Amino acid sequence: MAILIDKDTKTMVQGITGKNAAVHTGLMIEYGTDVVAGVTPGKGGQEVHGKPVYDTVAELKDNHPEVTLSSIWVPARFTRDAVLEAVDAGIETIVIITETIPIHDMLLVRKRAKEAGVTLLGGNTPGLISPGQAMVGMLPVRTFTEGRIGIATRSGSLLYYVANYLDHEGMGESTAAGMGGDPIIGTNFDDLLRMFEADPATDAVVMHGEIGGVLEEMAAPYIQEMSKPVVGYITGRFAPSGKRMGHAGALIEGGLGTAASKIEALEKNGARVAETISDIPRLLKEML
Amino acid sequence: MRLYEFEGKEIFKRHGIPVPEAYLVTTADELASVPDDFYPAMAKAQALVGGRGKAGGIVKVGNREEAANAVERIMSTRLRGYDVASVLLEKMEEVTDEVYVAVTIDRAAHKLVLIGSHMGGVDVETASKEHPEAFHKIWLEPEQEVEPYMGRELAHRMGFSGKQMAAVGGIATKLYKAFKASDGKLCEINPIGVKADGSLVALDAVFNMDTDALYRHPEFKELGIEGGRHEEGELTPNEEKARDAGFPYVDLDGDIGTFPGGAGFGIASIDLIHIYGGAAANFMDSGGAPSQEKLRAMLGLLLDDPKVKVIFGARFGGISRCDDWATAVVQFIHENQPKKPMIMRMTGNMEEEGRRILEEAKATDPELFAKIKVYPYTTPIEEVVQEAIAVAKAEGGGA
Repeated sequence: MAILIDKDTKTMVQGITGKNAAVHTGLMIEYGTDVVAGVTPGKGGQEVHGKPVYDTVAELKDNHPEVTLSSIWVPARFTRDAVLEAVDAGIETIVIITETIPIHDMLLVRKRAKEAGVTLLGGNTPGLISPGQAMVGMLPVRTFTEGRIGIATRSGSLLYYVANYLDHEGMGESTAAGMGGDPIIGTNFDDLLRMFEADPATDAVVMHGEIGGVLEEMAAPYIQEMSKPVVGYITGRFAPSGKRMGHAGALIEGGLGTAASKIEALEKNGARVAETISDIPRLLKEML
Repeated sequence: MRLYEFEGKEIFKRHGIPVPEAYLVTTADELASVPDDFYPAMAKAQALVGGRGKAGGIVKVGNREEAANAVERIMSTRLRGYDVASVLLEKMEEVTDEVYVAVTIDRAAHKLVLIGSHMGGVDVETASKEHPEAFHKIWLEPEQEVEPYMGRELAHRMGFSGKQMAAVGGIATKLYKAFKASDGKLCEINPIGVKADGSLVALDAVFNMDTDALYRHPEFKELGIEGGRHEEGELTPNEEKARDAGFPYVDLDGDIGTFPGGAGFGIASIDLIHIYGGAAANFMDSGGAPSQEKLRAMLGLLLDDPKVKVIFGARFGGISRCDDWATAVVQFIHENQPKKPMIMRMTGNMEEEGRRILEEAKATDPELFAKIKVYPYTTPIEEVVQEAIAVAKAEGGGA
């Protein structure tokens, strides 16, 4: 068991003929992910790593109805179109690797995905991994080891460092998921917390949030309802206000979205909050 | 990114929102083209920051001489730490009432929200906390068009009736359209002035738009807006260089240059440096799969910045592979012969290849690489942070 993806999940890649997508499709296959096919409009009939390329998602679904998960690698200006195409073709889980997607596009696709019952991860996520089973995205896979900790984070690089510290301490992950660094992303923290709470392979959850937005505050009350411990880690405590810190979502605006507000919300609701990355495995050990 | 007030008002005008008659000047000499009967007027500092009035950036001037003094004073000061780009001289509007209208993105509800209040011309951040009941909201779905009734409804809740309800509502719907058409993040008129004859005028303009959507707005280029601005403040010289080279950069006050790979760890590294007793000189982010040129430009900024005593680097290769990173670092060192210590860690995809590239370069010229350390997977990143802090102190850094 795991959440969102396991060894049996049939996956596809949108924008598969692009340079990065092609390289990482190879790495996904090498890891054991079941990549069935890909789509690039106008390049139907080609192959990438021996997998067929189709012109449309609907055509791919006609030929491979078993595919349920798509990762999206198309440029930002085509992402809205690509996500809606996948939603309309009946894909159940969509992982948007693309970054810097216009906010108004993401608001629309998030709503359409929700209405269709589709789980949307990203934009600007490095992907997700259920170690030993499957990986979608561009994660450095050797950092992740099989284990019983769930990770949900708004940052790709932090996902790697958290897994790295768990590994140093002999722990591993059931599933580790990047939620994406954009201001509007497809999944809320509590969506993932609920999945981890229901997953028999997960014993505890690490949630890493950062400045900007209110997703951490919104998820905090659910932590009280959980039977599993949650360790929070919030970055951006020393970030200046009014400056976008790389991630379009990491921006303190009008006094909202500060690290202090997020830390307070998590602690008030029963999470332990790590000050440094190395605190995370220590707190997990204390709580388990 | 934030627009200047005069830029925001230009967009308002294009959407039919009335604004005061105005001149934009940068020197007192340019006031010669302003007719004498234009006064009294308001001289308003154009700076990318809120709270300009309280900081002395907005003053009333009765004639050309007063205007000249105001322009000279305002142009020679910094406003809440930020540069003043120009002065907007606006015809004084006699108003009997001031109200507030805004459109923004509700990041909790994932909707767009039209906000109105009769409490205009005040510090809205404070007022909306103290009197939330006075701030009326109408939420719209992302695909929804704004309808005239929504504007009327908002104006009605704000306390307007009769013709004024339609007029204020009309401005609210126009503002919404301007916001949607410009990929806005926040459009705010604080205040809208209500004149004795009942007509309305936008006395201020806050306009923040989505930098990531700039590519589909050629009209912003016509206004001279090239993109890549903060929500607060103009870019510093380093930040401008970084923007032109294609990566985000934020100047900070410390002496440890950070070359962190991803944005998320970039933010975390600033925290870690502070927690362990140092101070970061910057934030930056390579983005996914950076080119060799970009990586070298990132290092170049830190090398050229005199406040940087040590470069702290980290690469956790995902889409950005270690071999590419190592190649860029080695080439940078060969080209620039840096004297600054570089304390770094590299791990992730293609780590062995990256390490081989670094070790071959070091074996060829050990002296050049004497102050450069690149730790592997087995060294925890926080130990590398602590070493960088110790090295900064040894190099005469502050703190």
